[in-house]
Amino acid sequence: MIRDLKRVRNIGISAHIDSGKTTLTERILFYTARIHKINEVRGKDGVGATMDSMELERERGITIASAATYCEWDKHNINIIDTPGHVDFTVEVERSLRVLDGVILVLCSVSGVQSQSITVDQQMKRYQVPCIAFVNKCDRSGANPAKVSAQLRDKLGHNSVIMQLPIGLEDRHEGIIDLVTMKALYFEGENGEKVVVKDIPASMMDEAKTAREKMIDAVSLFSEALTDAILEEKEITTDLVMEAVRTGTISRQMTPVFLGSAYKNKAVQPLLDAVVNYLPSPLDIENQAIDMDNNEEAVILESSFDKPTVALAFKLEDGQYGQLTYIRVYQGCINKGDTLVNSRDGRKFKAGRLIRMHSNQMEDVEAVPAGHIGAMFGIECASGDTFVSPQINYTLLSMHIMEPVISLSIVPKDNKAQINMSKALNRFTKEDPTFKTYVDHETGDTIIQGMGELHLEVYVERMKREYGAEVVTGQPRVAYRETITQKALYNYTHKKQTGGAGQYGRVSGFIEPCDEDFLFVNKVTGGRIPTNYIPACEHGFKGCMEKGPKLEFPVTGVKVTLEDGAYHAVDSSDMAFKAAARGGFLEAYAKAKPVIKEPIMKVVIETPNEFQGSCMGLINQRRGIIQGSQEEGVMSVVESQVPLSEMFGFSTILRSATQGKAQFTMEFSAYKQVPQSVAEEIVKKKLEEKSKK
Amino acid sequence: MLKKDLILKSPVSRTIGIENIKDGRFGAVISRAGVGKTSFLVQIALTQLLMNEKILHISLVEPIEKINLRYNDGYTNLIDSIGYVDPQKALRLWEDIYPNKVGISYNESTFDTEKIKDYLKSFKKADLGMPSIIIMDGLNFDKDVSGTLERLDQLSREFSVFIWFSIKSHREEKLCDDGYPIQLETYKDKFDKAVFLNPVEDKIAAVILKDGARTDKAFRLDSATMTAIEE
Repeated sequence: MIRDLKRVRNIGISAHIDSGKTTLTERILFYTARIHKINEVRGKDGVGATMDSMELERERGITIASAATYCEWDKHNINIIDTPGHVDFTVEVERSLRVLDGVILVLCSVSGVQSQSITVDQQMKRYQVPCIAFVNKCDRSGANPAKVSAQLRDKLGHNSVIMQLPIGLEDRHEGIIDLVTMKALYFEGENGEKVVVKDIPASMMDEAKTAREKMIDAVSLFSEALTDAILEEKEITTDLVMEAVRTGTISRQMTPVFLGSAYKNKAVQPLLDAVVNYLPSPLDIENQAIDMDNNEEAVILESSFDKPTVALAFKLEDGQYGQLTYIRVYQGCINKGDTLVNSRDGRKFKAGRLIRMHSNQMEDVEAVPAGHIGAMFGIECASGDTFVSPQINYTLLSMHIMEPVISLSIVPKDNKAQINMSKALNRFTKEDPTFKTYVDHETGDTIIQGMGELHLEVYVERMKREYGAEVVTGQPRVAYRETITQKALYNYTHKKQTGGAGQYGRVSGFIEPCDEDFLFVNKVTGGRIPTNYIPACEHGFKGCMEKGPKLEFPVTGVKVTLEDGAYHAVDSSDMAFKAAARGGFLEAYAKAKPVIKEPIMKVVIETPNEFQGSCMGLINQRRGIIQGSQEEGVMSVVESQVPLSEMFGFSTILRSATQGKAQFTMEFSAYKQVPQSVAEEIVKKKLEEKSKK
Repeated sequence: MLKKDLILKSPVSRTIGIENIKDGRFGAVISRAGVGKTSFLVQIALTQLLMNEKILHISLVEPIEKINLRYNDGYTNLIDSIGYVDPQKALRLWEDIYPNKVGISYNESTFDTEKIKDYLKSFKKADLGMPSIIIMDGLNFDKDVSGTLERLDQLSREFSVFIWFSIKSHREEKLCDDGYPIQLETYKDKFDKAVFLNPVEDKIAAVILKDGARTDKAFRLDSATMTAIEE
C-alpha cells in the first residue's frame, strides 16, 4: 500500500437507485486494470457486475452490501466503497460515509436529482464529506446535464460548477470538452479505453469559451492567485484553476460537475482524473476521536504511522474463512501480529491475517497504515467498534443509527433451519445495527425488526441462500408506540406485611409529556425518600416504559417528576420502592390520556405524468397526506407522508396502477398519533390476539 | 381561539368576506405582475384551512417548493399581524391545518384539466372530504382559455368546488369601459367574484370589481405582507 498519503483517496459512489453507480464502478475497475472484462449489471452474460458480489444482488440488479475495493490511477491508490442506493439499506450508506474522505455523487442526466439523492446528500452533509458530481447516462433520450447541475443548486443547495461540456447528447453523445484544459476528449476502442484528445470542434468553440469563463469566475472565489491572475490579465494556467477547484471542493463550498455515460464507456477516465485532482486525501480531512480516559475530550487524529493506532470496524461479512471485518485506519498502522484493544469492551486481540479487498477477491497485505481501508480475519466484534493500541482508550464518534420501524415474526421450517437461523441472525445483527431480533416471550416466535419491508425481505432470503435456513414469515407488524398527552399526578404507597420482612415505600409526583424518550427528575427534599432509594424509583419508572399499560407497546415521551414520598426504617428496600414507582406510574398513566403513535413514512413516487392522478389517489386511499406534486419533464414526483401500516404490499399495487412505470422510495419520517378510528381497530386486534394466547 | 383571531384578521375577511369565499363557482384576483396575486390567493386558501377545510393549490408557473414557501410566509405574516402569539401554539396550529393543503405544480404546456379530475375522483373513491376550493395560479389569460374554463366549470359543478384564479393584467393596457381589465372582460360572465389589486404609493388597494353588493368597495393592504390595514 502506498505510504505517501497524498496519493491515497478513500471514496464512495453514492446515488439514487438505478443511476448507474455499479456500472460506473465496473468501468473504473476496468480502466484501472483491476478487471479485464466488463460485466453488466443484470447482465445478459449471466455474470453480473463485479461489485455486486452477493447472488441476490445480481438477481435484483441492486447493490445491497457495500463491497470495498481498491484500484490505482495515475500513481494514486483509490479505495472505493460501492454503496447501496435503496433507502431501506441506508445504514450501509451511513457507514460508508463515516469512513470515506470524498464521494462521487452520481446523478442521472434524465431524472436529475431524485429523492434518494436528497437523502444521500443529507448524509454527506452530516459527515461533512466533500463531493464531485457525475451526471451519468448522457446517452439517454432526454439527457440534460445543465438541468441536473441547476437542480443540484436549487434542490440540494450545492454550488455546482460545470467543468465539462457534452459533445452531443442522447444517441449523438460522442465525448466531452474539458473546460480546464480546453480540449475535446473522445473515447475510442472497444470499451472506450483509448482517450483521444483533439481540438474543440469549431462549432462549439464559442459555447466552450463562455462556459469556461463562467467556470473560472465561479472557482476564482477559492484562490487569490487565480483572482489576481484574472484581474492582472495574466495567463490562467491549468494548475491555477485545478488548485482553486480542489480548495473549493475540499472545503465543501463547491461541487464540480462532470458528465458522461458509464454504460457507453464515455468520460469515465476524466472522472478518475477528477477524483485524484479534486477529492481530498486522508491528510486533507480532520478526524476526531473521543478520549475515554480524559473526560471524553475530543482528540484530533493524525494520519501518522508511528502514533498509536486508531481504526474503525465499519462493516462485517461472514466469509468462508470466518468473519471478515472491514476497517479504516485513522492513525498509526495495523501490522500483522499487532495487539489491539476493542475500546467498546476492552478486549485485547491480535491482528491476524490482513487483506485488502477487490469486491469478493482478496489480496494479503502485511500492514494497513493510517488513511487506508483494509480488512482483517478472525476478529470478534460488532460493526462500529473502535480498535486502538493498548496504550490509549479512544473511541471514534458513534454513527447515527435509526431505530427499526417494522417487525416480522419468523418460524424455522425444520430443526436444521432452526440452528442455521440462529447463526444467520447472530451474523446479521452484528453486521447491521438497524436489523434487530428478539424472541417474543409470550408467543415464543422469533421477531426480526428493520427499516422497511424490503430490508427484512432481503434478510429472509439471505437466510435461505447463505445459511440454508428456510423460514415461514408472519404478517409484517408496525412498531407502534404509546405516549401520554397530559400531565397527571400519582401518589402511591406500596405496603406489604404478610409475615416475614415487610415492604414499604411511598412515591408521589407527576408525569407529563416531553420530547425525550424518558426523563426522570428528582425533586425530593428533606430526606423524605433516602437518596439510596432514588435510583430504585427511577428504575421502577423506567421499567414501565418497556411495555405500555394500555396496549403493551413501548412507551415514549414521558417525563417523571418525583416530588415526595415516605419510607420505613425497617421495611423499605430497593424492591419496595421499585414496586411503588411501578404502581405510581400505572396510576398516573391512566389519567394522562394515553394515545398510540405510529411510524409515518416519507413516501416519494416518481411516475410518468399520465399516472400522476392515480398515484395521488393511491396515497389518499392510504391515510396519506400529499405534501406536493411536481411535474418535471415527462415525469412527476409526488411527495407524501403515509402511515407505515398502510404501505404493506404497496410496490405491487403501484406497479399495477402504473403499468410498472412508477417507482417509489420510502423512509422513516416521524412518529405521529394514530387517529381515533384506527386506534380503536388496533385495540380490537390487540385484544383478539391476547384472547388467543 | 387563535384560529378565530387569525380568520378575523385575514385580509380575506375584510375584502371578500369569510362566508362569501366559495359562494358561486369562479373567482379571480387580478393585478399586473409582481403586485401580489398569488400572495392574496394564498391568504384565501389559508382562511379556508383555518376553517378546517381542504384546499388544492395548482400552479402552472411555480415549483412546489416555492408554493410551500408562500404558504409558510403567508401564515407567518398572518400570525405577526395579530401581535404576540405563543410560537408553540402557532406551530401546533400550523401542523394541524397544513396537511389539508395539497400543492401541485404542472407544466403550463402539458396542463390538462383531466389530471385534476382524476385526482378529485380519487377523493370520492376513497370517501374522503373534498377540497372546498381550488387555487388555480398561472393560467395565461392573454391566450384563449375558453376551453379550459369550460372544462373547469364542469369540474366545479361535478365536485362542488369553487375555483379561484389569478389573472395577470398589463400596466400599459387601459381598462375597459366597465372598469374591467381586458383579460377579465372576455370571460366576465363566468366569474362570480373579482378582486383587482392595484399598488397605490407603498400600499395596495384591493378593489372589488365584481361581487354582488360588495362591488366597487375598496380596501387597503400592506404591500409586503398582504395583510389588511386598519382604517
